[in-house]
Amino acid sequence: MFQMIQKSFWEQVRKFNSLAGISIIITIVVALAATIDRGGYLLVNTIVTGGMLALVSMGLALTLGVLNIPMFAHGEFFMIGTLVGYYVFNAISAYVGSHPESSLVFWGPMLTIVAAMIIGAVAGVITELLIFRQLRKRSRENWVMNAFLLTVGLSVVLVNGHQLFFGADFKGIVGYYSGPSLAIMDVYISRDRVFALIVAAVVVALFWFFMTYTRTGRAIRAVSQDETGALIVGIGLNGILMLTMSLSCALAAIAGAGLLFMYPSYPSIGLEPLYMAWFVVILAGLGNVLGAVMCSFMVALLKVLTIEYIGSGWDFVVPSILIILILIFKPSGIFGSEVRGVLDK
Amino acid sequence: MNNSTQTLNPFDKLLDLTCFTPLGLLSLLVLAILPMVPPFNQEYLIRWLISAAFIASMAIAFDFTAGLINIVNFGYCAIMGLGAYTSAILVERLGLSPWLGMLAGGLAAAGMGLMIGMITLRLRGIFAACLAWFFGLALMGLATKLVWLTRGPMGMRVDRLFDTPSNVPFYYLLLAMMVIIYITCKWVTRTHMGVAFMAIGQNMEAARTSGIDPVFYRVSNFVLSCAIGGVLGGFYAHYYGILTPDIMHTSKTVEVLAVAYIGGRGSLWGGAAIAFPFIFAMELIRSSLSDLPGINLVLYGLLLIMVMIYYPGGFAQFFNTYFRQTGNKMASYLFNGVAADTK
Repeated sequence: MFQMIQKSFWEQVRKFNSLAGISIIITIVVALAATIDRGGYLLVNTIVTGGMLALVSMGLALTLGVLNIPMFAHGEFFMIGTLVGYYVFNAISAYVGSHPESSLVFWGPMLTIVAAMIIGAVAGVITELLIFRQLRKRSRENWVMNAFLLTVGLSVVLVNGHQLFFGADFKGIVGYYSGPSLAIMDVYISRDRVFALIVAAVVVALFWFFMTYTRTGRAIRAVSQDETGALIVGIGLNGILMLTMSLSCALAAIAGAGLLFMYPSYPSIGLEPLYMAWFVVILAGLGNVLGAVMCSFMVALLKVLTIEYIGSGWDFVVPSILIILILIFKPSGIFGSEVRGVLDK
Repeated sequence: MNNSTQTLNPFDKLLDLTCFTPLGLLSLLVLAILPMVPPFNQEYLIRWLISAAFIASMAIAFDFTAGLINIVNFGYCAIMGLGAYTSAILVERLGLSPWLGMLAGGLAAAGMGLMIGMITLRLRGIFAACLAWFFGLALMGLATKLVWLTRGPMGMRVDRLFDTPSNVPFYYLLLAMMVIIYITCKWVTRTHMGVAFMAIGQNMEAARTSGIDPVFYRVSNFVLSCAIGGVLGGFYAHYYGILTPDIMHTSKTVEVLAVAYIGGRGSLWGGAAIAFPFIFAMELIRSSLSDLPGINLVLYGLLLIMVMIYYPGGFAQFFNTYFRQTGNKMASYLFNGVAADTK
């Protein structure tokens, strides 16, 4: 297995003289320059935002690549994550308040994340069964556009369902871990950010391992490359599609719960992660999961730099103009291939 | 169905020229006299009528792109907002007449449409929709942040078009605009251009092989649709009298999109026909169930999902299947008119 990892690593390195490699190098250089100019917190912000963005956009890339659904409701699964995180963590902290010695002080936040993950996965399964499978049964022509409009409707339902059942007020927490910030070479990082970063890193690593080295992961990739071919070699299509959907929703929900200390839960909270994830996915090339991880950090850097140097509120304008410019010259995205898929129709 | 050598009486000729069926004309007449009929002559009901007519006009123009060349212009309301802001700024800062302002708004939006059309040319389907969406986001961000020009989220005061407290003149103006927009779009679809649009929408490669230049047709479709959006935006600014960047929000586009698709893609009239009952139902649910905020939007999302799964053709397909194929001669005339391909 070690040799396999080594081999794939060198394959990645060989790609570096392509556009992807150039843009990664530019990103790293710009990040370092900005860090030297304004201090280390920029780098920390970029990595925390990028890590969580990676979770959301990996899920989005997965639904695009495997299910061919341009998911407009992905931010709403982020919202479900924040909601679950809020209620579970409040229950846990009430328990901790009366039992200060319990081990939940340390394990509570992780339990919250796991709960959000499970609920997100269940929500994904329900969505697949109730909506997308019904559509798939009825028509496959013009599938991409129909699925897109379906997700628009789903997003409206979920956002307003939140408002209907849970109210439109902000539901936030002070923080997962109390205690002083950690200091690394003059940069103070709150414990929550470290926690979010670790969660993102672990989940991305696990996910990458799952997709690359397990049979199920290989089956998912096979379906994304060629559905008919996957059927011929005996892959159960419906199971894989459901698994993918629940996986991508679970990823978004983990991101929501992990960022609860920054984004309090309210009905339209999912919109911003959704925009950002779409930026990432379009930039990376539709359906490219590993490219999405890299591009998340680029977009996060772009956003952090825009807020730092131009001012907050511009963080939709500058990245979207830049992405439009990139798309003009490279319509299939930085990591995209020139192969035309179903999404081009 | 009908051959054109047959002589038409003047009424049918007029109908044919304006692309209306007798039923369409009838419903238009009903809409025209509605503000004088007792339950509808209250100010708040007229306001509902205006917002319904506004959504209807937007849906027609939106469907012109989405239904014909099969590209969802997901930044449509941002382009409408661009028209609104252009008009408002010209009128407020330079003292232009609001009518000229509306035209200028249409021109600005058409310019934007030209740009988006040119840029999305190389992209297809969902890529083009996303690019238009990002344009919309950028425009909305600009409207929020250029406070010196647009006053940002504080809102910009705009003079109203007519100097009366009543909303009735606005309603008639909008109704006239709706009819003009409908006739324009329908005329374009009747020419060879419309055929080309549909060919591109169904299969671009095949259209290109049969000698249709997608560049020209896609761009001109975008320009026309966006120009209409801009003029409507100008109307919006001079009707509400206050303009905030909120009108460029994606959720507004979603509203127009839902109406257009529930009405039936590619039909042009479906969205307009469905907008009036739809908006009224939404407003009624909202005002009668005010202790359940958001229930009207939940229902409308569910409706969109249901239509997309079970009846992708929308109301237009339903109408064509169950009403137009009738054997009754009288009813057939009412629903179809003399010429086959009209409203």
